[in-house]
Amino acid sequence: MSRAEATRQDAKGGRLFGLLLIAAPVSLVLLLIIWPVALSVFDTLTVETPSGVALSLDAYRFFFSDGFSLRNLWMTIQVAAICTVLLLIISLTIALYLRFSTSRLTGYIQALALFPLFVPSILLAYALIRTLGPNGTVDILLNAVGLPKLASPYLTIWGPIIGLVWDNLPLTLLIVLAGLGNVSSASIDAARDVGANRAQVLRYIILPRIRSTLLVAASFVVLGLFSAFTLPYLLGPAVPEMMGPFMRRTIIDVDDPLQARTQAVVSFMICAAFAYFYVRSIARTRREQSS
Amino acid sequence: MSVRELRQAGLAGIGSSRIRANWAGIAIAALLSLFILTPLVNVAIWAFTEVWRYPAVIPQKFGFRFWADVLSRGDVHLAMTTSLSLAAIVTALSALICLPASYAFARLNFPGRNLFFMSFLTVYAFPKFGLYITIATIFLGLGLIGNFWGVVLIQLVSTLMFMVWIPVSAFQNVDRRQEEAARDVGASQLRVFWSITLPQVLPAISAAVLLTFVNTFYETEVAWLIGAPEVRTVPLLMVRFINSELVVQYGAVLSLLLWVPSFILLMLVRRFLGAQALGRALGA
Repeated sequence: MSRAEATRQDAKGGRLFGLLLIAAPVSLVLLLIIWPVALSVFDTLTVETPSGVALSLDAYRFFFSDGFSLRNLWMTIQVAAICTVLLLIISLTIALYLRFSTSRLTGYIQALALFPLFVPSILLAYALIRTLGPNGTVDILLNAVGLPKLASPYLTIWGPIIGLVWDNLPLTLLIVLAGLGNVSSASIDAARDVGANRAQVLRYIILPRIRSTLLVAASFVVLGLFSAFTLPYLLGPAVPEMMGPFMRRTIIDVDDPLQARTQAVVSFMICAAFAYFYVRSIARTRREQSS
Repeated sequence: MSVRELRQAGLAGIGSSRIRANWAGIAIAALLSLFILTPLVNVAIWAFTEVWRYPAVIPQKFGFRFWADVLSRGDVHLAMTTSLSLAAIVTALSALICLPASYAFARLNFPGRNLFFMSFLTVYAFPKFGLYITIATIFLGLGLIGNFWGVVLIQLVSTLMFMVWIPVSAFQNVDRRQEEAARDVGASQLRVFWSITLPQVLPAISAAVLLTFVNTFYETEVAWLIGAPEVRTVPLLMVRFINSELVVQYGAVLSLLLWVPSFILLMLVRRFLGAQALGRALGA
């Protein structure tokens, strides 16, 4: 058998065989992602009437007229916005340093910034409570140097913000670093040669080139924030609460699956644009990898 | 590009003074150390503390008493058993269904291949917890809430991105010429796979397996939403320690006990994959 023949035979047998091999994970995606989401969108948009299923916006009308739901949504948006800004500033600062410094400190800084990857968030929640909570390390240290206690961020909106920034720093940094890697040194040199200072290089050369990277990083953070549960639940205030804990309480404690679904679909809608940028960038990376 | 390469590329780019750059570096390193390390060091100290009364800066008495306590607690044993079996079952099932699929995606040609492959992107397209809520509403009707296998099923979904994506790129990177050479000298298809293909993809597959195991072990949200109160995993025990345990040390000892093995496993993953690829696997 020649190789060409063998390949042809492989390809023929491969068709059915290939479909068979991918059947299980693809049905998982269909059954546990696409079906539940589609069903939730459908069920929240319709009501059962005696004459059949009819379109109805009642579930959404309730959500958007309920002060409590709106306060929770608003808090999630606030936390997402604050975390995104903080994470972008911190990651960009660190990434710029890592990209342009020749100091030996870069190794230490990179290792440190990636370290949260190795700490599960449930352990982080515990550690932050011991550090920022009542009589925690911060209180101890302030007391030791004779300063008054600060208002603790624990159980305020700042608790989850600190935790989520800590938790999301490594991956945000990796996204920004990858983007900075694509800014050519030649263009920076050229700008320097014509007398641009650091701020000008950053503003006119680097930022325009990494705009899409920053958008992807922001999308990643926003998606993560809308799905955050453990850290907001353990570190944040009970009222208002972020969408994650709110959805769980609605389905388990309040026992109102319809509103829980509505809340989920509302957060999908708010995240849709970000999800689009984020997924597009992942798809692009995969294509580059496989070609 | 690795950081070292980045740094070398950057060498040409620096025209400004080194000293100023280094002040920036020292400031970044100091602030970052404070932010990242304080909570962790704090927990490490608590784990070896017997008495620490506010406002002393240093604990009054160090010791291992609470280690013995934690290690002999029945709920710790039960949670460990639950979490280990959950993680082992999910990892095994995930490997069983995903690894053949990733081979198919990388090497076989079949109708709808790209579409099916891209369908895995939906894993990234929704805020995870909202997705779990929509699944939970279905599980409520099926009586799968509080059910071990309900948790297994959803956990499987979150492992797809490790067990499909990572091995696919590994299979694509296998040197096809070596395989063809082996076929030419008469090796069977199975033999080629076993002796040529498998050794080349093994590091990536090990990384995917380890990542899946560690992530499932520490997964809190699905276990909480779908499993509680019947399925008691270690993260849920930790939640209970946080919410209602007066002895601080239990949580600290459990944290340290759990964190060290996960750290070692994830460092192994990093060795197999590199930091950037690990980041990509986790969604960066």
